[in-house]
Amino acid sequence: MYAQFFGNFLLSRNVVTRKQLIDIMQKKADTKVKLGTLAIHAGYMTASEVDRIYILQTHQDKRFGELAISEGYLTEEQVTNLLLEQEPDFLLLGQALIEEGIIDNQQLQDLIIAYQSDNELDEFTYSSETQDAIHHMVENFFVLAERSLSPYEISFFHLLLNNLIRFIGDDFTLVSPSDCKEYPTNYCISQKLNGTFSVRTYMDIPEEACVAFASRYVGEEFTEFDEYVTSSLEDFLNLHNGVFSVNMSNEYSMELELEAPVVEDKDLLTFNGTECYLLPIVYPFGTVHFIFEIYKSE
Amino acid sequence: MMLNDVKILIGDDSILARKQLKDIISTYGNPVFIEASNGQDTIDQYKKESPALVFLDIVMPVKDGNVAIREIMEYDKDADIIVVSSVGTQSQLKAAIEAGARDFIQKPLNAEQIHHIITSRFEGR
Repeated sequence: MYAQFFGNFLLSRNVVTRKQLIDIMQKKADTKVKLGTLAIHAGYMTASEVDRIYILQTHQDKRFGELAISEGYLTEEQVTNLLLEQEPDFLLLGQALIEEGIIDNQQLQDLIIAYQSDNELDEFTYSSETQDAIHHMVENFFVLAERSLSPYEISFFHLLLNNLIRFIGDDFTLVSPSDCKEYPTNYCISQKLNGTFSVRTYMDIPEEACVAFASRYVGEEFTEFDEYVTSSLEDFLNLHNGVFSVNMSNEYSMELELEAPVVEDKDLLTFNGTECYLLPIVYPFGTVHFIFEIYKSE
Repeated sequence: MMLNDVKILIGDDSILARKQLKDIISTYGNPVFIEASNGQDTIDQYKKESPALVFLDIVMPVKDGNVAIREIMEYDKDADIIVVSSVGTQSQLKAAIEAGARDFIQKPLNAEQIHHIITSRFEGR
């Protein structure tokens, strides 16, 4: 996930345009070899074992290597070796920028140093994205208000990015979040979580991008904007909030109540009196806008 | 095929989830599917059709899944209800089992989970 944050950093420094970054993120996604593929190639795991881990990942917010170890398919040493073989995500992005002639090696090195410094990353571990390091980057990225983020909010945003990568694809570009007072809708759904941490998440997508989003999520080629497509979007939001509830229950013994997803039929959403933030996620097929209306985060 | 003519009720507000479940179950034969999109509709369809097996979502409009389970169990204490939910917390699982569900499947669905449910009930039919 470093690549998305690094990409956002490059955008904010005007090193790349948004269009260049979107193209490059897609190119990077095409060249990345998954850990499961490397494990099969190394003879550590069979294809069916890898598939089984992918299925487990849809239910548990854990990384491939972590699950493969707990299922007894890989040893810690094997995971370390495979991670060393895997090109770090953000270096693939840097490489693509150099290949496109946008920056040179020296500039990449300088940018990495500046990025490390901005994010107070003492030790930039290229091959293993530790949970702590990513949590820290999520915290820095979502500078939303005067207050610092609660651990629940950090977990919520971190999980959302993980779920986008797992279920939709990692070829997205992050645009910095902003305050949101009102928002003109395209096709918009929302779902509310109630409890110690209460948040309503809105997901807004233009119709043509809904079809592409649903196709990626379900793994079937949808061709028109129909009820299966809209149901797929609700399913994604429901899945995200469901896994988040499981994480909160396991980590903090916090029980959250989930409401059924609803379609927002207003042309303009207005937010008064609640903290509200807009996060654009730019995929090659279109932009998904998430809005987080935070009611309570103790 | 082991499921031919078996009545299976699917209570889920997501048309996608209902379709995915039907697609997986249909690999075991040609059951008679009955669909409901909220808790109350599921209760009504159960009373009308007396299905052999019920797959039921928890987070649904009108009446949620746990309320539906309790009402169905009051009507038929032998009802065979499988909860299918994206919220797989221990407390959710406990609430569903206490209400009378026989099993719990966490979404997103996969064929392996359904295989266990179907074969443990209908193998050898």
